Amino acid sequence: MLKDISKKEGYQFPPYTFVVERGKIKEFALAIGDMNPIYHSKEAAQAEGYRDVPMPLTFPTVLDMWGGNDFEAIIKSLDLNPLKVLHGEQEYQYYGEICAGDELYVQAKVISTEHKRGMNFFLLETTYTNAEGETVLIARSNVIERVGGEQ
Amino acid sequence: MSELTPIVKEPITHTQLVRYAGASGDFNPIHTVVPIGEQAGLGGVIAHGMLVMGFAGEALSTWFPRRNIRNFQVRFSAMTRPGESLTVTGEITGEREVDGEARVSGKLIVKNEQGETKLKGTFEAAKS
Repeated sequence: MLKDISKKEGYQFPPYTFVVERGKIKEFALAIGDMNPIYHSKEAAQAEGYRDVPMPLTFPTVLDMWGGNDFEAIIKSLDLNPLKVLHGEQEYQYYGEICAGDELYVQAKVISTEHKRGMNFFLLETTYTNAEGETVLIARSNVIERVGGEQ
Repeated sequence: MSELTPIVKEPITHTQLVRYAGASGDFNPIHTVVPIGEQAGLGGVIAHGMLVMGFAGEALSTWFPRRNIRNFQVRFSAMTRPGESLTVTGEITGEREVDGEARVSGKLIVKNEQGETKLKGTFEAAKS
């Protein structure tokens, strides 16, 4: 039976705050194999004019996964089959510098849903706000659930 | 237009996927537990899409100063498995002004050694 995924539109995930840590940035850069020194040392980052070690471009996934909206939370909230979930698209818009030491307030919501070609699509949008109340980052993510087989 | 220097990555290993799972906090077992990947019909584990986007992000902040990146968008098109070697290529495709800021726009592609496209993306960076 088809579930009505449109009911998930407008769903707001519980907001959370997250402090960006220098050690977590280094661990993340090492996992990718990104040896850019600005991600590994405060001195190297400051030599390039950053306040502290800057956030790597895809680091927001760390905020999401460790901060609150991890894989388990997403499948539970959206009622997904965990073995059928794929990541379709990801977009980041960077409005301000985020560095180690910054505390961010994060709010994610479901913008839209769609069922086509035997798949469920969920467009999620996450807004990251710094301690000064400035929106420093917006992320959009397309989560796909393969549901084929239900003719 | 203007080609950017390709970034060639080491082959992906199972260990790297475990490491990325821990670093990112994405513990979806299809990335780390082989029997679960098989049960999911994937024939084994697949790399996190975000790891592959991370390679593209590494390339971007090699090509441009990190602080100049304004927008980065990708679409994932194929699964990546341990053992694959990926290369990120990119090019600058145009220029435009946004709120008085001069920017370059471009596109990038991540492929394996056989030329299979893993993701395609676009980006914008402020001209420094």
